[in-house]
Amino acid sequence: MSAMLTILRAGPLTSVQDAGRFGMLRHGIGASGPMDGGAFALAGALAGGGCGSVEFTMAGLEIGVASGRCRVGFAGGDFVVKHNGVVLDWPGTAMLRAGDTLAVTPGTWGNYGYLRFDADIDLPPVMGSMATSSRAQLGGLDGRVLRAGDAVALRGGGESATLATLPSAEPASGPIRVIWGLHADLFPQALRQRFLAAEFVISSRLDRMGVRLEDAAGVFAEPVALSLVSDAIVPGDIQILGDGTPIVLMRDHQPTGGYPRIATVISADLDRFAQLRHGTPVAFEPVTVEHAHALLRSR
Amino acid sequence: MTGSSDPETFPTPTIMPLGDSGLLVRFGSALTDAANRAAIVLAVALERDPIAGVVEIVPNLVSVLLRYDPWASAPAAIAGELRLRLFALGDTPVPGASWTIPTRFDGPDLDEVAAMLGMAAPDFVAAHNAKPLRVLATGFAPGFVYCGLHGEGLVVPRRTDVRPAVPPGSVLFAAGQTAVTATEMPTGWYVIGHTDFRNFDPAGAPPTRLRPGDMVAFEAAP
Repeated sequence: MSAMLTILRAGPLTSVQDAGRFGMLRHGIGASGPMDGGAFALAGALAGGGCGSVEFTMAGLEIGVASGRCRVGFAGGDFVVKHNGVVLDWPGTAMLRAGDTLAVTPGTWGNYGYLRFDADIDLPPVMGSMATSSRAQLGGLDGRVLRAGDAVALRGGGESATLATLPSAEPASGPIRVIWGLHADLFPQALRQRFLAAEFVISSRLDRMGVRLEDAAGVFAEPVALSLVSDAIVPGDIQILGDGTPIVLMRDHQPTGGYPRIATVISADLDRFAQLRHGTPVAFEPVTVEHAHALLRSR
Repeated sequence: MTGSSDPETFPTPTIMPLGDSGLLVRFGSALTDAANRAAIVLAVALERDPIAGVVEIVPNLVSVLLRYDPWASAPAAIAGELRLRLFALGDTPVPGASWTIPTRFDGPDLDEVAAMLGMAAPDFVAAHNAKPLRVLATGFAPGFVYCGLHGEGLVVPRRTDVRPAVPPGSVLFAAGQTAVTATEMPTGWYVIGHTDFRNFDPAGAPPTRLRPGDMVAFEAAP
C-alpha cells in the first residue's frame, strides 16, 4: 500500500524515529530512536510493521491523508485519538483513506506516542537509519522535526498486523531501577544513600536529549568538584551537572561526556521513565545487572 | 605503537558495567598517553577478533565501550573473553594513517593562549605544529576528534565560559590537546584556528575519516 500524508498540526518535538542508528558511536553519533521503545513496537504490531514512526509529544498531532490509503497503529502513554472526529480506542488501529484526518491530543498520562503504518515511511536512511537526531540534526526529514505542512510519503513494506493483547494500563509505579554508574565510587557513601532516599521531581526541562530533575532535598546541592576525563555515555545515565542539577540522559544523548555519572537507569525502566510527566515524583532503587536482565526478559 | 616489535606494557584495566547493555574497559581515570594507547589497541584487537554477543565496540579517550544485547548475552561471558584478549594486547599491531591538516591560525583566542603560555603567537603556532599528534578519540559530536597529547609546555585549562556555537572546522586547544570540530557546536575550549578539513560526511561509509591512532600534522596555511 502507499499513501501521502500531510502534517496538519505538530508539537515542537515531533520527529520521525525508527529503532535507532546503532553502530555509529565511534563516529561521535548516538543511536537516537524511540523514547518509548515498547510503545514504538506496539504501534508497529498494530499497524503491520512498516519501517519508521512518527513520534509525538503531549503537544499532540494531526495528520491528513492527501492520497492513497494505509493502516495506522497508534500507541504510547495515554492519548485521545479521533479518526474523522470519531474517538477510537487508545492504543489501537484504523484504516485511513484519502481525505481522512487523524487527530491526537493528550490524555491522562505519558509524554510520547507513536503512529506507525503498514507501509514504510519513504525517507532516505542516513547512516543506515531514518531516526531523527535532534542533537546531530540528521536523519528523519532533513534532520529536523516535523511541522505543519510537511508531506510524509508511505510506500511498500509492511506485513499483516499482528494484534496482541493490548497493555493499555498505566505502567506500574514504584522506584526507577538503576545500576550504579561509571563514577558512583566518586560520590561519598552518605551521598549515595541520600540519592536513594530522596524524592526527585521531573522538571519542565525535558526533551529527547535529557530529563532534568528537581532536587528539592538538595542531595547534590554541594556538587562534587571533579575534573573527569570524557567517557562513553549510554541512555539512562544520570549525570550531575556543575550546578548540582541531576539530568537523566535520554535517546539523543551526547555520545561522550565529562560530568560525573552516579547511576544508569535500567533498560526495563527507561520507557516508563521517559513517559513520566513534568511534576511527577521519582525515586531510584539500585539493582544488579543480572536483576536488570531478569526484569527485561520477564516483561 | 606502530612498527615496534616489542610488545608494550599497558595499564591494568578495570572492567565495569555501564548500565545493563554495556561493559566499559577503563585503563585509568585520567588521560595519559599509555591509557589512551591501550584503549586504541584494545579496540583494534576486538575488531580483528570479535567477541560473540558484542554488538558495538567504541574506543574512547581511556576506555573501550562494548555494547551487548541484554536479551541475548551475559556480561560475565563477555568479560571472560575480554580478559583473554587483554592478555595478548601488547602483540596487537595498530595501523595508523598519516594526515596533514592545513590550518589558518586565526582563532579569536590565539593571542590569549600564546600569552598564557608566555609565547608570542607565531612561536606558539610553531611549537603547536612541531610534531604530529595522535588522534586520541572521536567523541562528543559527529566527527569531533581529540588529538594529542601536547607536552607540558603546551597545556592550558579549558575556558571558564562556553562559546554557544563555533563552525565546523574550528581548531580548538585546551587540556594538552588540540581538537577539530566537524559540526557546529558549543565549546569551552580555546579557538585557535580554522581548517577546511571536514571529518564528517553523513553520506560517507564510514562517515568519518580520522581513526583513533592516526597521526595528524597541523600545518600553518595562509
